[in-house]
Amino acid sequence: MEGVSYQRFPKIKIRTVRDDFMKFELRETDASIANALRRVMIAEVPTIAIDLVEIEVNSSVLNDEFIAHRLGLVPLISERAMAMRFSRDCDACDGDGQCEYCSVEFHLRAKCINDQTLDVTSKDLYSSDHTVVPVDFSDSSSGFDNSDTRGIIIVKLRRGQELVLRAIARKGIGKDHAKWSPAATVTFMYEPEIYINEEMMETLTLKEKQDFVESSPTKVFGINPNTGQVYVHDAEAYTYDDEVIKKAEAMGKPGLVEIHAKEDSFIFTVETTGGIKASQLFINAIEILKQKLDAVRLSSDTVEADEQFGELGAHMRGG
Amino acid sequence: MDPQPEPVSYICGDCGQDNTLKPGDVIQCRECGYRILYKKRTRRSNFPFFLS
Repeated sequence: MEGVSYQRFPKIKIRTVRDDFMKFELRETDASIANALRRVMIAEVPTIAIDLVEIEVNSSVLNDEFIAHRLGLVPLISERAMAMRFSRDCDACDGDGQCEYCSVEFHLRAKCINDQTLDVTSKDLYSSDHTVVPVDFSDSSSGFDNSDTRGIIIVKLRRGQELVLRAIARKGIGKDHAKWSPAATVTFMYEPEIYINEEMMETLTLKEKQDFVESSPTKVFGINPNTGQVYVHDAEAYTYDDEVIKKAEAMGKPGLVEIHAKEDSFIFTVETTGGIKASQLFINAIEILKQKLDAVRLSSDTVEADEQFGELGAHMRGG
Repeated sequence: MDPQPEPVSYICGDCGQDNTLKPGDVIQCRECGYRILYKKRTRRSNFPFFLS
């Protein structure tokens, strides 16, 4: 069992980072690592979300549980989540979730008193902790007109209707409920490697080349207007649809292009709900993955662990 | 049945005015005369509630 080490040194190259979006390359590792990272980012990086709602007055058109559900889905700034405790293993409060270590209290009080419909939004939620507040998109992007964007609408009230409630937000993970997922999307793709058989390509007429280039649903290839040569315009636009391969075969030129997925290079796209920064999400995911590996390592001496993890345990001890 | 017939609060379906009605009262808004009223949540209950 001793001997071979499977240790590798993955490399990361960041292409784009914005607050809630990130694109990066992960190289020199395999699909298991890439997929583990993806899954941890979606379901195991903790955030804070409203989990308990006590409704005092509700004369709105939505029933209590409907409003409670909507409140739960409001993303909250969760920079503190990693340092917080899960209310189920909080020593200070036997898990009733009302102490400073594991929960944050919110209050909402709204009443419509005139003939104009009152929008109750996430901005009407008053937090007991200024570091944990609903996300605010109002001035970050100027993409669409934000003259009257006032947070996330929870319910609308007509004249005379009232809503008074108390809510408790807790730390949680996406595995337990999707409201705790910090990720809007996390995807990765294999980096494609495209070879053009230049010799065979030169046997095509310009019309045939154009047909070939246009057979791809996404713009992968282009034609140099001066030399008439087909070149790879954007390899990553390729969706592994095989259309150009089929086209080449239909033209009687199999092997005109060869496209391989590089087994050890991944291009990640990460987008968050705004609760934590995309870069922080990735860092936290690695931290969680390390903690999970530590749990395996700690139990690797026991007999059960040998049965459970078998070769994996042996590899971890070996290298 | 009821120990003391407590008045219950309603919201008018037309003007939104609060109305308190006692058993036997005509169901009609005092403000605008509209006959559809929506009941508000009450605190009276058969089983004791231990809310904070």
